[in-house]
Amino acid sequence: MKIYPRQHHRVLQVITRLMVPFVLMFGLYVQFHGDYGPGGGFQAGVIFASAFILYGLIFGLHRTRKVLPPSTLRWLVSFGVLLYAGTGLLTMLLGGNLLDYDVLASNPLSGQHWGIFAVELGVGITVTSVMISLFYGFASKR
Amino acid sequence: MFVAAALALLATMILTIVRALSGPTLYDRLLAANSFGTKIVLFIAVYGFLAGRPDFLDIALVYTLINFVGTVAVLKFYEYDDSVGGDYQEDDY
Repeated sequence: MKIYPRQHHRVLQVITRLMVPFVLMFGLYVQFHGDYGPGGGFQAGVIFASAFILYGLIFGLHRTRKVLPPSTLRWLVSFGVLLYAGTGLLTMLLGGNLLDYDVLASNPLSGQHWGIFAVELGVGITVTSVMISLFYGFASKR
Repeated sequence: MFVAAALALLATMILTIVRALSGPTLYDRLLAANSFGTKIVLFIAVYGFLAGRPDFLDIALVYTLINFVGTVAVLKFYEYDDSVGGDYQEDDY
């Protein structure tokens, strides 16, 4: 039942355009402030992906695919996992245990900082791209 | 002060749940669900200050965003029978 066919939903479009940058910004805040407050890679990934999902719901799958093509997404899914695993292997190559961040920098404190930064970034990238891939997969189904 | 606000919010949450369960039309239920989400956001904020952890405001912000996306998705599902099909989307303006 379509009461108003071909209407443009102007309010939703304007609100979405206003909100999407702030959602992305908040996702980045949760990602990089995770050491000091609630947050971390997984939550930041979901928030970041929800901005793309909102854009896709309002402006259509076609335009969202132009912004973030599925071929790029496939690369990003693997890149996050590789960043995580690569950090672990790098610590092993530098003489520590797997994901033993202390050896990454000259003093253990900044080593821990950079290690957790890289691992959380990998988690965030993978979660973002997997969430958007799931949205593409379900939404393009007829 | 915060305890009174939290109790009042709990009372309004019960009222919106009743409306969501007994609403005669779909839009009553949707509006009740959306306003229940808003109440949850307020409750998280009030509880954060009650427990002395203002960090909860971040969680409240996230809940606002997800609530908005969820309501738009459900409304669009009922309007167009599929979540991203809609005729109007291919229009470039």
